[in-house]
Amino acid sequence: MKKISRLGHEARLGWTLVAPALSVIALIAIFPLGWTFWESLHLHELRMPWLGKPFVGLANYVEIAKDPRFWAALGHTAFFTVVSISLELVIGLFLALAMNRVFRGRGFVRAAVLVPWAIPTVVAALLWRFIFESQGGIANALLVDAGILKQPMVWFIQTSTAWVPVILSDVWKTTPFVALLLLAGLQNIDLTLYEAAAVDGANAWWQLRHITLPLLKPAILVTLIFRTLDGFRVFDLIYVLTGGGPGTSTEPVALYTFNALLQNLRFGYGSALSVVIFAITFGLAIFYVRGLGVRLGGEE
Amino acid sequence: MNNLRWQRWLFGAALIVLMLFTLFPFYWAIVASLTSDAALFRNPAIMGFILAVTMFPQISIVSPLYLLLRSLHLIDTYPGLIMPYMTFAMPLTVWVLTGSIRQIPKDLEEAAHVDGATRRQSFTKILLPLAVPSLATTGILTFIYCWNEFLFALSFTLGPERQTVPVAIALFRGQYQVPWGEILAAAVVATAPVAAMVLVFQRRIVQGLTAGAVKG
Amino acid sequence: MLTFSGSALGAEGTLVARQLQRFMQLNPGIHVELQRTPDDASQRHQLYVQWLNARVGNPSILQLDVVWTPEFAAAGWVLPLDKYAPARGEFFPATITANTWAGKLYALPWFADVGLLYRRTDLVPNEPKTLEEMVKNAQAAMARRGGPRYGIVWQGARYEGLITGFVEYLGAFGGRIIDEKGEVVVNRPEAVRALEFMRDELYATHVAPLDVLTWHEEEARFAFQNGNAAFMRNWPYPVAAMSDTAQSKVAGKFAVSPMPASGTAPNGHSTAALGGAQLAINAYTQHPDAAYKLIAYLTAPEQMLERAQAVGQYPTRPALYDDARLRGAVAIPLDNARRAIESATPRPVTPIYTELSEILQIELHRALVRQAEPREALNSAAARINALIDRTGMRKLMSGATKDSTPSGTSPAASSTVGHAE
Repeated sequence: MKKISRLGHEARLGWTLVAPALSVIALIAIFPLGWTFWESLHLHELRMPWLGKPFVGLANYVEIAKDPRFWAALGHTAFFTVVSISLELVIGLFLALAMNRVFRGRGFVRAAVLVPWAIPTVVAALLWRFIFESQGGIANALLVDAGILKQPMVWFIQTSTAWVPVILSDVWKTTPFVALLLLAGLQNIDLTLYEAAAVDGANAWWQLRHITLPLLKPAILVTLIFRTLDGFRVFDLIYVLTGGGPGTSTEPVALYTFNALLQNLRFGYGSALSVVIFAITFGLAIFYVRGLGVRLGGEE
Repeated sequence: MNNLRWQRWLFGAALIVLMLFTLFPFYWAIVASLTSDAALFRNPAIMGFILAVTMFPQISIVSPLYLLLRSLHLIDTYPGLIMPYMTFAMPLTVWVLTGSIRQIPKDLEEAAHVDGATRRQSFTKILLPLAVPSLATTGILTFIYCWNEFLFALSFTLGPERQTVPVAIALFRGQYQVPWGEILAAAVVATAPVAAMVLVFQRRIVQGLTAGAVKG
Repeated sequence: MLTFSGSALGAEGTLVARQLQRFMQLNPGIHVELQRTPDDASQRHQLYVQWLNARVGNPSILQLDVVWTPEFAAAGWVLPLDKYAPARGEFFPATITANTWAGKLYALPWFADVGLLYRRTDLVPNEPKTLEEMVKNAQAAMARRGGPRYGIVWQGARYEGLITGFVEYLGAFGGRIIDEKGEVVVNRPEAVRALEFMRDELYATHVAPLDVLTWHEEEARFAFQNGNAAFMRNWPYPVAAMSDTAQSKVAGKFAVSPMPASGTAPNGHSTAALGGAQLAINAYTQHPDAAYKLIAYLTAPEQMLERAQAVGQYPTRPALYDDARLRGAVAIPLDNARRAIESATPRPVTPIYTELSEILQIELHRALVRQAEPREALNSAAARINALIDRTGMRKLMSGATKDSTPSGTSPAASSTVGHAE
């Protein structure tokens, strides 16, 4: 294990430069984490201060384990994350490849592609809600005209159809982000590899499979990690679009936590929920890192 | 609409400053990563920690953060917003940048070293230009994240001087009414700077490895 | 130095600023600042929770939604007002009940929102006397050539608005959510019938479109305003927009009245859900006395009248409804307005209201989208609400010692709520 003193001037310089930033991050990040862990071990109902704030150990967690609404929310979150990410990766890759080429007006195309992601989430959610809103809404009108639907339907009152606008709006909004990340990764691929392959007679599909994708793996993995973490924390979008409905069938864990914390004022229970979400996303990150071979450590 | 425009100007001005200050600490930390050969960022504990920061849902963090910022008297101040933004936008930046920096071949640096370049020269003339696409990418991603972030801005600011665009938009809403015209207008105004930034940066983003830099 | 938290949107913003100015002139030692908070209820609630949890004394005056008062009172976040001897009798009893917890008054009612039935006078000239008559009128209107697409529209999305609508049907059939003794009675036969009636509007008589199950206030307003509905259930706020000939197709062609009772229920009575805002004093403020002066000023008759004239919001003082000056301000006949507020029913007055409401919202919505039968849904709701009450130990507090400790002179049995406890 290298000791800092042995690393010499460069590394020390590095540490000195990052130390302030890291300490700010540590403060801003560690304090809430610690506070939340601590709260989760207590009973803390803001509405009932006469109950005090007794230490209850893991009682909140036990309650979570027995709470069917939590498990349902977990399922919804997982479903949403998997479907969204899959779509976003595929479409994003396609977009990134397209943006990588030289063509006239590509600057504007790239800017235009980023617009959905630049719109504040709440506004985007409201827009999509508007599109799918009522039987006379745009989505219905288009689908009926195209003959796909026989008659307009009310999207938000059935679980299966309520997911459609949710996922669509997330994909619409986040694919640009994914495309951008993948594009950055594409930039790092040496063009000569393609030339060599073309000389050897490989077609585009082969190039994609054997050159692009493997070399894009680091970028794909970064994207996967961050999108999974984001997906698991989805809140604004669903809050505005369905409010978790119909019933609670589109409710993600973050929305359930919001309810517990800020609507029902159950800080102890809500904090425990937060910790559970943290643990799950942590587990997922570890899975990505170990299982899919992202290297956190040095390469050489 | 006039009333709105005038207020928008205020918000916008506040925002620009905010954004500038937000981006600076980033870049500065990134510089550090470049200079130390990314050795620091190969440390799994640090990388893991940075990543863990993004694993809590925002709403869980708002209350304790509010308590913390308040005790530091940072509510309704620029640093009070910048610090959380920095913290929560940093992981992505760090990961993307270290990923792309690692892909810059060592030979380049060594070649420069052999040619007698100082550390600083090899940094500014070799590493930095090659890192520009990733810097541009993460710059945009960070900018957009800060521009559109709502929950922290709502919770940590109090008055029009510090409120950001999404908060301003939220304040248009009546109890039941959603003033569509105003909200969409605001969204357009809000998106314009971002789109402009992207246009400016997009060339940088797509700058690839200049052919010949590695070969020979 | 006081801070007043309120909306600064449009006409209301100008009005508040004006009233605050006058207050400052009348009270030279007190300076008041307006701190803008979002009008969206749940955002404002979130901010309040954050601030009060951190024991922040600003804003000194909180604008509370009608169902928040007991919650804030129990949490110790707002001050009891009894020591200032506010004139309780001068306000509508239901509004006072909604702001009383454990026998103490915690907020002054500022303006009232009540659920109202809007109808197209060109299609339905006479006010329906019963719910059944309303449905028949709706069907007849829809059947006419060139008639509207929908019979009645309301807010049926899975949110608080659904409860306010449900409360009206509930009262129409003589049901309640929680009775005076603190017992959960939302699964009694009357309640089941009320829910069945709502469901039938969707699936049996087809007077309400399935869309309403995703609608909030604005969507319903658009439907009615564009001439697509014969009836609408909504708060008073749409009246202004709908009377504007520039944007409304129904200007001059609609009238407003309280929701009727059911003709088939002996205990049913015309009911309006009570909404509106109340003003309370932040428990952590440094200047409680000055704060009380301000809220007393803002809820004084002249200010309420001015508010009615400026933004059309209903005063919470019955005496004003005899005042001729109110006539032009409130866009519906004064008599209808007063009747509506007098029939106003607060939702259960308890600190755990948000959780209770959530349970009920979920079950009601399930019944309305036909994921469950009404009886089953309400039984499930009752069971879960009971579990909630037991878990939070609210049972004792909510089973009022019906020794009514409110010294109000006029408190008829409009106290369809719990909250008087010792």
